[in-house]
Amino acid sequence: MSLNVGRALGARKRSAAAAALVGAVAVLAGCGGSDSAGPAQTLANTPIAPVKGVPGGQATLLSAADVDSLDPGISDYNVGLMVLQATQRTLYAFAPDDATKVVPDLAKGLPKISDDGKTVTVTIRSGVRFAPPVDREVTSRDIKYAMERAFTKQVPSGYAASYFGSIVGVPKKPNAGDYQEISGIQTPDDHTLVLRLSKPDAGLVAQVLVKGITAPVPKEYARKFDQQNPSTYGEHVASTGAYMVERDASGKITGWEPGRELRLVRNPNWDPKTDFRPAYLDAVTIAGGNADSAVAARRTLSGQGFICCDAGSPPVELVRSAMARTPEQVKLFPARLTNWVALNTTIAPLDNLNVRRALMAGVNRSALRLPRGGPLMGDLATGYLPPGLQGYEEAGGAHQGADLDFNAHPEGDAEVAKKYMLAAKADGLPIDDQGIYTGDTKILAVAANSTPDNQTAEAFQAEAKKLGFDIELRLVPREVVFTNFCSTPAKKVAVCFLGFGSDTPDPYSMLVLPFDGRAIREEGNLNISQLNDPKVNAAIDKAASLSIGEGRLDAWADVDEQILEQAPAIPYVWTKKALVSSSDVQLVPNTYTTMPDLSFTSIRK
Amino acid sequence: MAAFVLRRLLWTLVLLVIVTFVTFLVFVQMPSADPAVLRAGRNATPEIVAALRDQFGLDQPWYVQYGKYVQHLVLHQDLGYSYQNNVSVGSEIVARLPVTLSVAIGSVLIWLAVGIPIGIISAVRRGRMSDRLLMIGALAAISAPAYWLGLVALYLLSKDIGVLPIFEGAGSYPSGGQSLFTAPAQVAPALVLPCLVLAASFAAIYARFVRASLSEVLAEDYIRTARAKGLRERTVVLKHGMRSTAVPIITLLGLDLGILLGGAILVEIVFNIPGMGRLSYEAIQRGDIPTIQGAVLLGAALIILLNLVVDVAQAVLDPRLRKARA
Repeated sequence: MSLNVGRALGARKRSAAAAALVGAVAVLAGCGGSDSAGPAQTLANTPIAPVKGVPGGQATLLSAADVDSLDPGISDYNVGLMVLQATQRTLYAFAPDDATKVVPDLAKGLPKISDDGKTVTVTIRSGVRFAPPVDREVTSRDIKYAMERAFTKQVPSGYAASYFGSIVGVPKKPNAGDYQEISGIQTPDDHTLVLRLSKPDAGLVAQVLVKGITAPVPKEYARKFDQQNPSTYGEHVASTGAYMVERDASGKITGWEPGRELRLVRNPNWDPKTDFRPAYLDAVTIAGGNADSAVAARRTLSGQGFICCDAGSPPVELVRSAMARTPEQVKLFPARLTNWVALNTTIAPLDNLNVRRALMAGVNRSALRLPRGGPLMGDLATGYLPPGLQGYEEAGGAHQGADLDFNAHPEGDAEVAKKYMLAAKADGLPIDDQGIYTGDTKILAVAANSTPDNQTAEAFQAEAKKLGFDIELRLVPREVVFTNFCSTPAKKVAVCFLGFGSDTPDPYSMLVLPFDGRAIREEGNLNISQLNDPKVNAAIDKAASLSIGEGRLDAWADVDEQILEQAPAIPYVWTKKALVSSSDVQLVPNTYTTMPDLSFTSIRK
Repeated sequence: MAAFVLRRLLWTLVLLVIVTFVTFLVFVQMPSADPAVLRAGRNATPEIVAALRDQFGLDQPWYVQYGKYVQHLVLHQDLGYSYQNNVSVGSEIVARLPVTLSVAIGSVLIWLAVGIPIGIISAVRRGRMSDRLLMIGALAAISAPAYWLGLVALYLLSKDIGVLPIFEGAGSYPSGGQSLFTAPAQVAPALVLPCLVLAASFAAIYARFVRASLSEVLAEDYIRTARAKGLRERTVVLKHGMRSTAVPIITLLGLDLGILLGGAILVEIVFNIPGMGRLSYEAIQRGDIPTIQGAVLLGAALIILLNLVVDVAQAVLDPRLRKARA
């Protein structure tokens, strides 16, 4: 799903990350800088393909945040996902430089989907063993238990019900009761997992077998921890990946000090023949609490053995300076995140299609991008599907929606804006002959009161003013932007600013949650624009029903185009992520987690 | 004296109840991050969040929630569970408090060791060039915010990114929950720069305070008498003069220890020290209400108890106060 509710409905880490949307915004915090490279200019990414490294050595990640959890059934934020990939084997995973194609991890090959789209069968690889203290080979029953526990109240995974809710026999009220077996998750033998679905949803389910709840959990070991509420399995987690959290001789985890430090060491039971990851490093430390990314980035660039940072990128000036001086110490790549200005299609005057199109045409999106780091930290967006996500190329790549005149010039086109304003005048709106709005209706916009969100909001306020719109800007604490305003339709907020990312390679979550009219809710609403267009809804249904080979991605590209035609949101930047490393670290980022890939990073000898 | 201490302890309990109530109102009833959303993680459906709200009792009236919080606190000494770090708040505080106490003790030692001598020198040499230079220095230190001073100190003096690499920098604090009490040799080098930064403004304030207070005392008749008796100037100043200055210094110290906890937040963030300050900052940023409540309650308890200690110390030092309080 995708609204990286951690990244979208909220973010942070990052941000965190209170509500989902709050989280997404936190991911973007901290970017600033000048747009000196020119308004429309975009800058190239750095090479990110894995490079063969030398085994051995240690690295330290200077991170602001800690893992959200070590429990694979819960963990779903940046640092947590990074650790999850290093310490657990999910059924499928991503190569570090391509988040659009899944590769078999614990699975032996690609999933088999039945003709009716209601059964997914996965064969499990042999020879993968749990780390101490479990010390036995993984079977399909461990994955069955891992998925079942994610529907209990003790392990609220957050996404289990959204992605795997079509499995036969899942609890009617997910994450509200105790453990129970799920009849639709079947294990005919130790190496076969069969998922039986109540509807032809296999196309989606097969795409989300990368999620953490498909990492095996040994029932006989975990059960006692899972009976506590909340489950304490994360404090005793059994790894299957190349690394594990440091333990003492008795098997007790000693390498995690919540909020402070996490130490990963090699899993003695890991067999490289069963894994596509090279796992060069002997040990990795994640040092939390590095809240000042400028200090952390400077330490990294001038020190040895460091990597920086986690949810947010280092300050843009530092990135720019490092790229000029020591480009080998910088990795810059798409964060699979689109930032847009959501226009509430139910509130006047934004309920008029021509007004929305006029705003889309008239707003200089590079002005909105400026507080987020300018061209260095993101390309101007013309559509909702970001680079690095499936469907991006099918939708037109960097030229999404270029055939729509109101979307063809992201730096702003006054003439086209005037054309649509005059069309809105013909609809009866108070607009003069110059295409300037003369009504006295104020447009309520809500944004976070911290940078860069407040600056982006102020830039939009100035851009909208050019067309005569009076934006009443309300700046509030980041953690309540969505929970108390934008995600509650009754608050009648007309304009909101958000970043939306996807935690699966599929465009489904990127387009459905924010634009499917049937997803509008009274609270916790992610369709901030409240777009409810029958044509868009029908196109979504069609795309969701197709598998990759049946033209699924072309269908999602069509959905993207149809949404753009309705102009419910102004996309303005496809955000990039920057990571920096010390000169002795050969850093390999992972474009799925947008974090360092600990299993491919190495120390230069 | 015993009755006085008992009375103060009872007041301490009343104050702590008030603190829990106000904290609860501020962080639970005012708009903030929803603990259920935090627990549910990103991508949680509204149904899951609703189920968690029900499970945590967040849909119950505020007074019921408060009652349960106090009940757990009093009967089980349970400060709650951090849904951000997925550990109990009590265990987090137990791990972090010694670290902050290490920072606080180091800072207090520095500011007393620096501030009082400077104040004495300035008072004795009042009006001379050395007095003026010291007071200008003190004014500069008072004017520098701890956060800014911390960053400047890092960029100038830390071994990792400083121009003059003298002291250990950010991130040098040892892992493993160490503190001055358990591993002084490992921890002390990492605390020098942060304690200097935190102590700077306090040392300056104490220098000015001692200077003003001691200057007044040195003009008293009994000081003139002491000098007339032929006592050495050092004895006059340090024994007779400073004795009268000590009581207000102790009063000030009690109040400043509370302010110090606030300053520790900034210093712990800048220097990445895993203490209570950083824990509180991160909890506030993420809306981790149980941790915020635990940290505020602990801070309040510490301040109240420190003030009690100060009151008792004052009574011991000044017989007039002892009589008045009896």
